[in-house]
Amino acid sequence: MFGLFEQPAASRQDHSACSGCSLCVLVCPMWRARRDPRFSPEGLAKALQCGATVAELAAPLDACSLCGACDPVCPERIDLSGMVMALRGALPRAAELDSQLTNLARQAASAAAPVAGALLLPGADLRANPALLARTQMLLGYGLAQDDGADIALALETGAQVSPTRRRRFLDRVEGRTLIVGDGLLLAALRRWLHGVRLQSLGEALSSQVAIRRRLTSADFYVIETRAYHAEFERLVTYYDRLRLETGCALNLDLQRIAIPAMTQAMSRRREMLADEDLREARWMLKGRQPRRIVVESLADRAVFEKSCDVPVLHLAELAED
Amino acid sequence: MHFGACVVGSEGFDASPGYDSLHSFHRMVLLKISLVEPGTVGPCPVAPDALQGIKRQQTNPARWKGAGWQAFVSALDAAGMELVEGAAACGVYATDAGGTAYGLPHGVVVARSAGQIASLLKAAQTHRVPVTVRGGGLTTEGESVAFGGVLLDMSGMSRVLHIDAKALTVRVEGGIFWHSLAEELRREDLDYLSAPLNLTSSVGGTLGVGGIDVNSARLGCSADQAIALQVVTPTGEIVECSDSQNQELFQRVILGYGQFGVITEATLRVRPYTPLSMHYFYYSSLATAIEDLQMLDRNDASDYSGILTIMDCAVNLLVAFDSDEREAAFKANWESRLRGYGEFGFALCMLGHYALRPWKLTEALYLLQRKREVFPEFRRAEYMRQGKMHDRTVVFSRAVWKHWGSRQMVIPDLATSADKFVAAVERGNAVCRKYFPRYTLYCVGIKLRPEHQAHYEMSCVPPDATGWAYGCEFEPIIDGEVYSRDHFQAFKNAIYDIGVDMGASYYRFGGMMKGYIRRVFGDALVDKHLALKRKADPAMILNRDVIF
Ligand SMILES: Cc1cc2nc3c(=O)[nH]c(=O)nc-3n(C[C@H](O)[C@H](O)[C@H](O)COP(=O)(O)OP(=O)(O)OC[C@H]3O[C@@H](n4cnc5c(N)ncnc54)[C@H](O)[C@@H]3O)c2cc1C
Ligand code: SF4
Ligand code: SF4
Repeated sequence: MFGLFEQPAASRQDHSACSGCSLCVLVCPMWRARRDPRFSPEGLAKALQCGATVAELAAPLDACSLCGACDPVCPERIDLSGMVMALRGALPRAAELDSQLTNLARQAASAAAPVAGALLLPGADLRANPALLARTQMLLGYGLAQDDGADIALALETGAQVSPTRRRRFLDRVEGRTLIVGDGLLLAALRRWLHGVRLQSLGEALSSQVAIRRRLTSADFYVIETRAYHAEFERLVTYYDRLRLETGCALNLDLQRIAIPAMTQAMSRRREMLADEDLREARWMLKGRQPRRIVVESLADRAVFEKSCDVPVLHLAELAED
Repeated sequence: MHFGACVVGSEGFDASPGYDSLHSFHRMVLLKISLVEPGTVGPCPVAPDALQGIKRQQTNPARWKGAGWQAFVSALDAAGMELVEGAAACGVYATDAGGTAYGLPHGVVVARSAGQIASLLKAAQTHRVPVTVRGGGLTTEGESVAFGGVLLDMSGMSRVLHIDAKALTVRVEGGIFWHSLAEELRREDLDYLSAPLNLTSSVGGTLGVGGIDVNSARLGCSADQAIALQVVTPTGEIVECSDSQNQELFQRVILGYGQFGVITEATLRVRPYTPLSMHYFYYSSLATAIEDLQMLDRNDASDYSGILTIMDCAVNLLVAFDSDEREAAFKANWESRLRGYGEFGFALCMLGHYALRPWKLTEALYLLQRKREVFPEFRRAEYMRQGKMHDRTVVFSRAVWKHWGSRQMVIPDLATSADKFVAAVERGNAVCRKYFPRYTLYCVGIKLRPEHQAHYEMSCVPPDATGWAYGCEFEPIIDGEVYSRDHFQAFKNAIYDIGVDMGASYYRFGGMMKGYIRRVFGDALVDKHLALKRKADPAMILNRDVIF
């Protein structure tokens, strides 16, 4: 009798709908690190309701890691990470980020057209590790997109503008194919832009592989990449619950089934040394647990765990037998 | 291609659906946000007040005018204390979960230590600046809203300090959310005893007001699980108190609505964690369901019990168990005595009822729609394992905010002795019917501890209750409707008048119901507490206008 009448997903709202329930605060790593409500999605939404200017909100806007944990918990369905991205667009951006964007865009412009069939869009982190990228590609058996939208992903993160021509060119190249996307923000955007296309996060694609799945055990602590997970929470919460049941591994989920992010730094600060904040989040995840191995979906998370504990840390693609 | 610094606006590049494009974001900035003057409160979502014809109790205290504020700020500055001002800092506190009382503080201090709070309160006494303490801000009558002065945000002190798994106790900072505490305890396979069914109320805020859970009929209210507290008194002394140490302060701070000190640390009793198995029984009569609830409580037949309704048409008695043994004993001894139906039986019963009353079709459709929306929330697969519910507070809190929450919440309540409860709920139900087309009732029992009688004085616990007190929340479903403050206030007054008439109390009593306090407790008791308050807080700065 139940479940037959699940309501269709209502559309997302803006900050004016915030009722102040604070549920987003509980899951926000930026709040956990500072315990100051200004550094929380609720703080941002409420400040906007009271007429705060974007400049006054610069510090929390910069500190947000866009982990997306706040989005699925908001009962008012406010697009909180979208709000941060949009507001960031009105803040001055570091010159270094601008030149990074220009470089990425230049590389994309000279990229060859993709091979036919399903495509892997690895994202910047995986592309920076050619051996792991090759292994991932081999495991998945997908063609590699030369233009994987890295410039668009960075633009999303920093609130920069992308010309409609660039976006169209990128979408034309990937439209109508099955896509595996390494960057969580780009994946969420592609879901909105492309319809009728099969899209999967890299984490879901790899963990669905029998060769990888059967190597996961109850001694593993499995770290879900947060952006892709939260962007499709309703479906993926069930997927990972099944993964946990089948393999016995522990997951980086809190009691609300929200993924605790390891890498909590915004892109603008990511090249700095790992912050205390990241290490604290990793230690919090491991508190009361004694895994013999940590398995990560995202390479950014690997660095954090390697620094905060002394058990082996493996990327999912490294799990499969050679 | 153009990646410009500080660029807003791009045709066709949507950053997100709600903020559809940077272009529309720009429009939002221009059209929506700039309508609000920085430093003021945003547009009030409550319809304009007529302020006529209704005998009102005090609803919004007068704003403190700010005399001596600058000297106070300088004193804090000299003491190296951070106080933030301006819309970005104060806006988050403009209202509480009730969303009908609006006010801004002059400045905000985020709590960091007992020492810092002691300095703050000493300066506030000297300069006579009001200090409003805020935990989760889940009050519904403006008790945690600052109408000027300083807002002390306790969420800055929200850590677990020590878990003693052997002694089954935990020491926490006062601003910790119950949910954050549950997260930490779970890593040790422990759980708190009882807490409000929402994730973001704080320990300090709850110990001051009561705290009712669906296991309160067995384990008492949340305030009863406190073993010891660290309190900063209104004059800035840091004092450890318990039933054996500084007992009088302990008695006044527990269930004291923040009048006698700021709770900065608390030692609480905890218990081993268990998932629970839940059973639902459906009734069409409030009185029958309440009688069955009380029968279960009297006989210690379940670990959790409570009533949740869709108006007075679908009355759901929920019963749950921590262990298979307790569940089996219930099935063997008590289940057959309950007069409620199973889900299918109740659906048939309702079908027959509404078939004979076709003019009530809209009500029937509402029941069906509500059931379709709400019920799946309680059975989400990710919170169920082999038929047992894990993380009940998460399940309930999600459902509460999603299906009952809104930018305005008006939840007057009544707490009575067991024998007066049916009458109180039926009278309150009639008031709900009169004022709102849709509403819900939530009833639970609260086990009283005779040794805590002194804690209960002038609190939510009705003076004539022995064994158990019973509480009922009356919550209209606002659902985007706009009601005037007068309408809300008249509704609350009508509920609270029942309490005065019946000699009941209110389990979240406080705040703007200041006008009721003498009628409920009588002059002698109120004057006794007022004298204690004046002695403890000479400038009457701490949580002003909540009770006194
Ligand atoms: C949707 C919803 C559901 C609810 N469900 C329940 C429920 O199931 N059971 C229940 O019992 N209640 C419930 N409540 C009421 C609410 O949970 C209680 O009022 C709550 O426990 C208050 O905690 P808080 O941290 O939000 O306190 P606040 O609202 O922040 O403060 C409450 C009072 O205590 C004072 N205060 C806060 N912190 C401190 C401190 N550290 N020291 C001294 N004084 C302090 C404040 O000044 C204020 O007067 C609900 C409320 C809502 C909106
Ligand atoms: S995206 Fe993550 S870091 Fe940013 S506000 Fe939401 S929860 Fe906090
Ligand atoms: S979860 Fe949504 S409604 Fe609740 S405080 Fe956060 S932004 Fe506001």
